[in-house]
Amino acid sequence: MRWRLWLLMAPALALLLATFAAPLGHYLWLSTQAQSVLTALKPQPIGVEQWLRLFNDGRFWQDTWQTLRFSAASVSVEMLLGLAVALLLDQPLRGRALLRTISLLPWALPTTVMALGWRWIFNDPYGPINRLLSGLGLAAIPFLSAPSITWIAAVGADAWKTTPFVALLLLAGLQTIPADLYEAAALEGATPWQTLRRITLPLLTPYLLIALLFRLAQALGVFDLIQVLTGGGPAGSTESLALYAYLNAMRFLDFGYSATVMLGSFAILLLLCGMAALAWRWSLRWQGGLR
Amino acid sequence: MKQSGPEGFNGLELRELSRRVGAQTLVDELSFTVAPGEILALLGPSGCGKSSTLRLIAGLDPVSSGEIRLGGRNVTALPPAQRQVAMVFQSYALFPHLSVERNLSLGMELRGMARAEINRELEHVLALMQLQGLRQRKPAELSGGQRQRVALARALIRRPALFLLDEPMSNLDAQLRENLRAELRTLLRSTGVPVVYVTHDQHEAMGLADRIAVLREGRLQQLGTAESLYHDPANRFVARFLGSPTINLIERGSEQLGLRPELLELVEAGSPVPDGWSALEGQLIHREWLGDRVISHVRCPREGTLKVLSSTAAGGESLQVRWRQADALHFDAHNGERLPGSIGAQAS
Amino acid sequence: MARLLLLLWSLGPMLWQLYSSFRPSAALSGVDGGGWTLDHYRQLLQGDPPFLTYLFNSAVVGASATALTLVLAVPCAYALSRIGRRQARTLTLLVAAAVAFPAVLLFLALLEVARDWHLANQLLALSLPYAGLCLPLAILLLQAAFADIPIELEEAALIEGLTLWQRLRWILLPLMAPAVASSGLLVFLFSWNEYPIALTWLSRTDLLTLAPAMARIAGSSVYTIPFGAFAAATVLGSAPLILLMLLFQRQIISGLTQGAIKG
Repeated sequence: MRWRLWLLMAPALALLLATFAAPLGHYLWLSTQAQSVLTALKPQPIGVEQWLRLFNDGRFWQDTWQTLRFSAASVSVEMLLGLAVALLLDQPLRGRALLRTISLLPWALPTTVMALGWRWIFNDPYGPINRLLSGLGLAAIPFLSAPSITWIAAVGADAWKTTPFVALLLLAGLQTIPADLYEAAALEGATPWQTLRRITLPLLTPYLLIALLFRLAQALGVFDLIQVLTGGGPAGSTESLALYAYLNAMRFLDFGYSATVMLGSFAILLLLCGMAALAWRWSLRWQGGLR
Repeated sequence: MKQSGPEGFNGLELRELSRRVGAQTLVDELSFTVAPGEILALLGPSGCGKSSTLRLIAGLDPVSSGEIRLGGRNVTALPPAQRQVAMVFQSYALFPHLSVERNLSLGMELRGMARAEINRELEHVLALMQLQGLRQRKPAELSGGQRQRVALARALIRRPALFLLDEPMSNLDAQLRENLRAELRTLLRSTGVPVVYVTHDQHEAMGLADRIAVLREGRLQQLGTAESLYHDPANRFVARFLGSPTINLIERGSEQLGLRPELLELVEAGSPVPDGWSALEGQLIHREWLGDRVISHVRCPREGTLKVLSSTAAGGESLQVRWRQADALHFDAHNGERLPGSIGAQAS
Repeated sequence: MARLLLLLWSLGPMLWQLYSSFRPSAALSGVDGGGWTLDHYRQLLQGDPPFLTYLFNSAVVGASATALTLVLAVPCAYALSRIGRRQARTLTLLVAAAVAFPAVLLFLALLEVARDWHLANQLLALSLPYAGLCLPLAILLLQAAFADIPIELEEAALIEGLTLWQRLRWILLPLMAPAVASSGLLVFLFSWNEYPIALTWLSRTDLLTLAPAMARIAGSSVYTIPFGAFAAATVLGSAPLILLMLLFQRQIISGLTQGAIKG
């Protein structure tokens, strides 16, 4: 009987392996090859040369920094705002269900669709924000043309889209907290802030960490938004690792190096998520110690 | 009970049936037979293996060793569908999204029975279980008792070769349980097939079954009629399991004496003890008045608290508890086995 | 109040797009011209190819990806839920890890697959990688739903003589309809949203799905300011999804929430 169950799982598992494991394995091989226009697009083994190149590639490290900066800012904003929204939606209010759905709409829209919209909103000088500013007599903000600001605009657009996802996740977590805990706290005269710190946050920790892990992994791989909103500019200041890998493959036709970049990015992703997961383990133990 | 040779026995037969999972033995070399039309109760505390045994008979779990034979053929290796058994689960397991009618007919439909025949069987069973008015309802709209009837109907409609019931009354309230017991017994006996009934409730077992098998940690402790188990228990465990209030046990050297509460008499402290009787002095610490009977808790200095069942309350605080020596059951203090030579009271 | 802020924050950008889409380009560039116009929409709908083509393509890919995912995920989730704790847990953990994986990292390998197996510019072929990417979440959701069904129900059906296929068809799947709907919707949403793989597998303009089509529109005019057309495209591109969200809000939300809890 047992083997029949495995048979049922086989097609799905096969596709999963083909989608996730096989490409990574392929990249591993490809990163030891040179396959580009220079080699007439045929793979030539060159050992670790690609990796050396990666290590010395200023643009790669610049992009790493930019991606990390983007992810850190984006995830922080999303976690804070998401928590706020979740707390808001946790209250029994009229029209809560509709509000919840509406707040989820940003997440449901394709990134590229709204990125176009953001291009317009951030436009200097005709976008609504700058028009408002000029109407108030303030200087316009060059959202998409100043390297120091553009990445912040990207963070804003990303936060707009994914905060609802985080909020929904945290809301699910909030709703698992038994109401009597809050009632007991109220009886003891706890302030809202104390309730938040002593009850809500500790019990929400697993969900917070799941949301963090998910969003971190996704933010590190940001591609759609950057490509459509800024194209990596201005002057490559918003270029992300994923975009760099893409350019290497599609524009420079340097497939070997592209694979190397992607594996490098993946390694960084694993490292960061691994650290976050360890923090989770540690926090669970700490939480258990609190009891 | 008809019993022909081993190949031809027409009921259910378990031979040295065992199920082991990892290091645990859930069912330990269990053997018994159930004749057609007979109801056998599997009785015991939680974890004694009664439900595990039932699942083995049904074919839901694999057997580690031993044989299950039904109607003369070896069904041990057959999947449930081919064993022609019907089972009523503790939770009834009615399909929540189907009407009562569909719950009953789904099996037959998928087996390819002719529509006319299905309808005939449906009408018959619906009438039998008095469910006609409820045929379109979904299980969620039924009461506990009604759901039980649907579960029974679903089992009956298959005209199985064996009936299995897993604590089907435990989800009903006490009053309903008592009222339904007689009805259920009549219904089950009328099917003419062997019935195995799992319960942890001794009253249910005693009231419903022809014979009772007491199980403990997967092993059969004793198999017999309710009377023989009660008056002639094979060991301390069986003696303690049957009987309410529980049998009193007092130490006597290397033996333990089992004293049924209803066989003890309460008299004034210090009364003279007649020949062939034994007695203990004690203090009345508590009395439960239960309408038709009284349970007196008497604390004796060395033996602990004895429970005495009588129809009226005994007067006084200092009492003497006494019994006919012939009424006492003797057990080995160490392993709980019943010692030969003590008969206990016979049914009068 | 906070609720109002939330509403504004969520709807603001989209409402602005809606507003802009009806304003003539001149007005948008600040040159004073008032009025409303349907020109942008006309431009899109009559363009080459008409904008609705993209929506249609996305719908085709979405439907086929959803079907493929469900067909693969249901048996797998069933087996996982029945296979016993230890083995299930490791597999489930791996599957859960796959959910967080950024899909974009796969595009190169998938590009080569598309090339080697001539799958490029074939809408239905897209459902393969999409199904692969959506399987983890679908499996998690469906497995949880299977586990929620008391095993006695299936055992009763087993004793009644139902085969595995019959049990799935008549007992298990009907009881799991909400979870199946949620999973399907999430897959459909993903397909509409997906960009890098569609970008690399589809080059013919008339085959583009919505996401790469929007990107192409964005990239195509760098020096002019066709923001009215942009806005109209945004509105048209968003409309189906907004509709979907509103119609199926409960299923989508419960699907996400379940995914969170089981994660």
